[in-house]
Amino acid sequence: MNIVVCVKAVPSTTEVKMDPKTNTIVRDGRASVVNPFDATALEIALQIKDERTVAGFPTTVIVLSMGIPATQELLRDCIARGADRALLLTDRAFAGADTLATTYALACGLRELGTVDLVLCGKMAVDGDTAQIGPELAGSLEASCITDVRSLVRIDDASVAAWHATDEGTELIETDLPAVLTVSKDVAQLRMPSIAGVFSAERATCETCSAAEVATDPSRIGLAGSPTQVVRSFVPERAASAQVIEGTMDEQAARVAALIEEAVR
Amino acid sequence: MSGLTVDREACIGCGRCVRACANAGIELVWEGPRKFAQATDACVFCGSCVDACPFDAISINKDGGSGGVDVSTFHDIWVFAQVTADGCVLPVACELVGRARELADVRGCHVVAVLGEGAGTAGSDNAERLIACGADEVIRCRDARLERLDTEVYARWICGMARDRRPEVILYGATAFGRELAPAVAVRLQTGLTADCTVLELDSATGLLQQTRPAFGGNLMATIVCPDHRPQMASVRPGVFAAPAGDPTRAGTVTDVALDAGIVPRVRVLAVEPAGAAATIADAACLVVIGRGIGDKKQVPLMRELAAKLGAELGCTRPLVEAGWLEYPHQVGQTGASVAPRVLLSLGVSGAIQHLAGIGGAQTIIAVNEDPDAPIFGVAHYKVVADCVDFARALLAT
Amino acid sequence: MVDIIPMDRELQSYLRDESRSSGTADSISFPRDEGEIVAVLRHLRAVGGDAPAAVTVQGARTGLAAGAVPAGGHVMNLSRMNRYLGLRIDDDGTYCLRVQPGVVLSELRRHLKNKTLPSQGWAPEDHAALERMYAGPERFFPTDPTETSACLGGMAACNASGARSFRYGPMRAHVRGLRVVLADGDTVSLRRGEVRAQGRRLRLTTESGRTYDLALPTYYIPHAKNASGYFIDDDMDAIDLFIGSDGTLGVISELELTLSEVPAVTWGVSCFFSTETDACAATVAIRAGIADVVAIEYFDAGALDILRHQRTAGTAFSTLPMLDDAWSCSVYVELACDCRDHALADLAHLGELLVAHGGSLDDTWVARTDADRETLRFFRHAVPESVNMLIDERRRTDPAITKLGSDMSVPDDRLLDVMDLYRTTLAEAGLQSAAWGHIGDNHLHVNVLPRSMEEYAAGKRLFARWAVEVVRMGGAVSAEHGVGKLKRDFLTTMYGEAHIREMAALKRQLDPYCQLGQGNLFDVRLAKEGDRA
Repeated sequence: MNIVVCVKAVPSTTEVKMDPKTNTIVRDGRASVVNPFDATALEIALQIKDERTVAGFPTTVIVLSMGIPATQELLRDCIARGADRALLLTDRAFAGADTLATTYALACGLRELGTVDLVLCGKMAVDGDTAQIGPELAGSLEASCITDVRSLVRIDDASVAAWHATDEGTELIETDLPAVLTVSKDVAQLRMPSIAGVFSAERATCETCSAAEVATDPSRIGLAGSPTQVVRSFVPERAASAQVIEGTMDEQAARVAALIEEAVR
Repeated sequence: MSGLTVDREACIGCGRCVRACANAGIELVWEGPRKFAQATDACVFCGSCVDACPFDAISINKDGGSGGVDVSTFHDIWVFAQVTADGCVLPVACELVGRARELADVRGCHVVAVLGEGAGTAGSDNAERLIACGADEVIRCRDARLERLDTEVYARWICGMARDRRPEVILYGATAFGRELAPAVAVRLQTGLTADCTVLELDSATGLLQQTRPAFGGNLMATIVCPDHRPQMASVRPGVFAAPAGDPTRAGTVTDVALDAGIVPRVRVLAVEPAGAAATIADAACLVVIGRGIGDKKQVPLMRELAAKLGAELGCTRPLVEAGWLEYPHQVGQTGASVAPRVLLSLGVSGAIQHLAGIGGAQTIIAVNEDPDAPIFGVAHYKVVADCVDFARALLAT
Repeated sequence: MVDIIPMDRELQSYLRDESRSSGTADSISFPRDEGEIVAVLRHLRAVGGDAPAAVTVQGARTGLAAGAVPAGGHVMNLSRMNRYLGLRIDDDGTYCLRVQPGVVLSELRRHLKNKTLPSQGWAPEDHAALERMYAGPERFFPTDPTETSACLGGMAACNASGARSFRYGPMRAHVRGLRVVLADGDTVSLRRGEVRAQGRRLRLTTESGRTYDLALPTYYIPHAKNASGYFIDDDMDAIDLFIGSDGTLGVISELELTLSEVPAVTWGVSCFFSTETDACAATVAIRAGIADVVAIEYFDAGALDILRHQRTAGTAFSTLPMLDDAWSCSVYVELACDCRDHALADLAHLGELLVAHGGSLDDTWVARTDADRETLRFFRHAVPESVNMLIDERRRTDPAITKLGSDMSVPDDRLLDVMDLYRTTLAEAGLQSAAWGHIGDNHLHVNVLPRSMEEYAAGKRLFARWAVEVVRMGGAVSAEHGVGKLKRDFLTTMYGEAHIREMAALKRQLDPYCQLGQGNLFDVRLAKEGDRA
């Protein structure tokens, strides 16, 4: 069985500080990390691999990403934690992609990887919050999609069954492979790399592909392939009308206690 | 070639664009005696620099612009109307129909609600309610295959109709199902989709939908358009728009349609577990919300104690959940729970807009933060500038 | 003049510290500078006649040996003395930071990391030193007690240490200067290297010009990590007498701390073993074989089992990676070096040593990123936390039950002996236990987890027996937490009563009315009678 985990490099902190005086973004040396939701997806993939390996079914876990060349280091870290292969789609031509263009690029990458039985994605990326890649990828592959998986119940060569969150609770559903699953972050905790893993990652190569190598239709990638575009970004205005509570800490506390009591009464 | 271009006649090398960029995507370079802005490989074409430039020197160009469609042949605003397991249309559908009505009146077009119901729902008045809220037409399909919210079935149904009837806009509630369905439709129709919009405006002449949503962790708002592809699609969280009062006398048509026989569910439901009825922060009357300003996980028990003393539930911001200080059900904000307590005591919360999006329903907000410029004070009714841990101790002692 | 406030109900929390024991006091003061410390001490002396009030000095009250719990009299709380006073570059290029004793460690760390040391009012040359430091590599203060809300004065008073003391030693090594107010209000300024003893005689001159000719005790301190009683050595530096003196010789009013360069690469590795024998053998091999090791910490089977249980019972630890059931115990090794290639070489070497001692390359967690380091830090802190949760559960049935924690160390060559002692005697007594701590320094916190008051008493007896055996091995009864008021009996076991009397006699020379830190190190009667009894 071939399992592909789609991962995205995101800033390690998602909150960008604003300089209140100049109203501009305060940049610091923000390191990139694997989107925490995708990290959970990787752990689920590795757990499937562990179980199937014990049962004697060969299983391969491949991490796939689209990003800048530095993302290779993060993919290598995924190998240190147990992934077998990594493929990075990296090219200036991919830059500026919205979810549709990203989906197309990832679908091209999946085709490059050959037969894929299961695609695992984080439910969403912490820096974008759109939660669109999983369902869009399923649509473009004509595969079934189970979103917001809470626990994987069973997987075999033909089908997968999982509990997933719905608007009214949870539901156990089953569908045939190939399928796309998206997972919530608290479902599992990504394992740590072992010493053995660190050295296999040192020896491994992170494969890379340019746009020309994978994308059959260059008009569908990057900025040009993105139907949506940002026309304006701005700092939201905030009204400053709060009544200031002054005094010593004890006086402030007493006043707040009174306000709360009044409001709840 | 698509990309970011700097007009070197207009650029004076002031560096405002560099400061505005969150990605190190633009830098200043010397060429002879003059400095110019120039995009780097890290540019993601977000447009922040375009807006920051007072000289209109920066532009983002896209070629191959057209999505191959004649946008003028698209018309009307569709609203997907999700129905609960009990067969009732969700409030968010009514809210969206209400907003769509306002936009349609500007544009001079129709509002069409798309309603899927299970077989044997003949007695339902969902269509009438949607008309009362402002729909001109309800496209209704009653079919056993629509009884369960199966993304693929719904997506294929909606895509089939959208290809025939060419709506200009489709809006979805950003529910669990809506957030699954909308991208499934978007990829099949090869069009754009903007998630979790907080503002929607429609240009009366061009029909261009201005979709505004929080970006960069909520410290920036981004306005997004989809110029060359149709339909333009957006999802909106429940509660963002007010539900219209509803006019039962409004006239509208109900068009019953059949579901293509070729659409067969591929997903089998094995079991269903309804959500528990445990007390949630969403319906607490008094809520203490803590943020990173509490400094240390070790302060969480103190905050629990304070909440207990005040008879309040305890909520928190997303970073605390990410750090493992509290569990997800405590998270308040756009990706957590929206809350509406009578009083909300906010301790050490800076106030990212995604958090603020979740506390708009609070009647009274008392915010405590060390930083007098914290954005939380912008929405608070009462402001205490203090160390929130010390303050919590003082409040416990009252 | 600083207020001397009568004790009342509002101030009850100042009668306790983290040891959870409680004392009594008549009054309290919160001095803001050295002058106010002097004023309070002079005032107490003036109104007290020939029996001036006892004075217990407090910092952040995070100590575990009740050193800051008052024994009547006056409480002098220095938490408001939390200013940063200046920075200089010493002749050897070391950055030396002057602080007041109430500066809190976590604050100091934050300011160093964010380059935000409050420097208002500093002299121009201090500002220049600060600029230079910020322009260079990041600096930190290496002493790392688990409780980061400790204050620097308290840390010096008990010679605090932490996991990284394996590499950096305890607090002592990082204090270059001290200002101390003596019981009568006179002051002493000490800078390392300037005042040394001649053999066991130490001449100390105060700033008012008075000279003390001190007879130092005659005992020898163990060749093991030690925080038990006064630091004494032939030709010792005067500053070392005050560091680790548990607030009994003077009030520390200012410290000059040396800052160290942050290593370029820090990797943490948790290594899991199926037996304690393997873990100990690997520890011995690692500390001898890898030069870049800064910390070696141990978590035994009892500790990991409790953590496993709490991880499934609640959600507090659900973000921890899964612990394989085959793993019995864990050794955490922290590597710090100047580049990634060296770290990889160290890691390879570590792997070889693990394989040679019953470990494996797979049964390890390697933290190379901030997020992973945080995960391992959380894991190490989760162990004591989960044990505390277990004890809290037991206290619901019997509120008198508390955890008994040991703090003893032995020399390097006795590690296996002391482990054997712990295991044999715990098994004989049939007590539940969980052990963790600084195995690199042969210093474990063995915690007895009593299920009843009988087991609590049995645990206490066991600790007394361990103290005797540990001393016999050449170890220390308190390696880290200090003696305070709770471990006085162990100190007698360690040095014998004659040497304790020498310590008391030394104290009486500097503090004739035995006002300072009453009840710390020795019983107040012994302190007052001294060698006359």
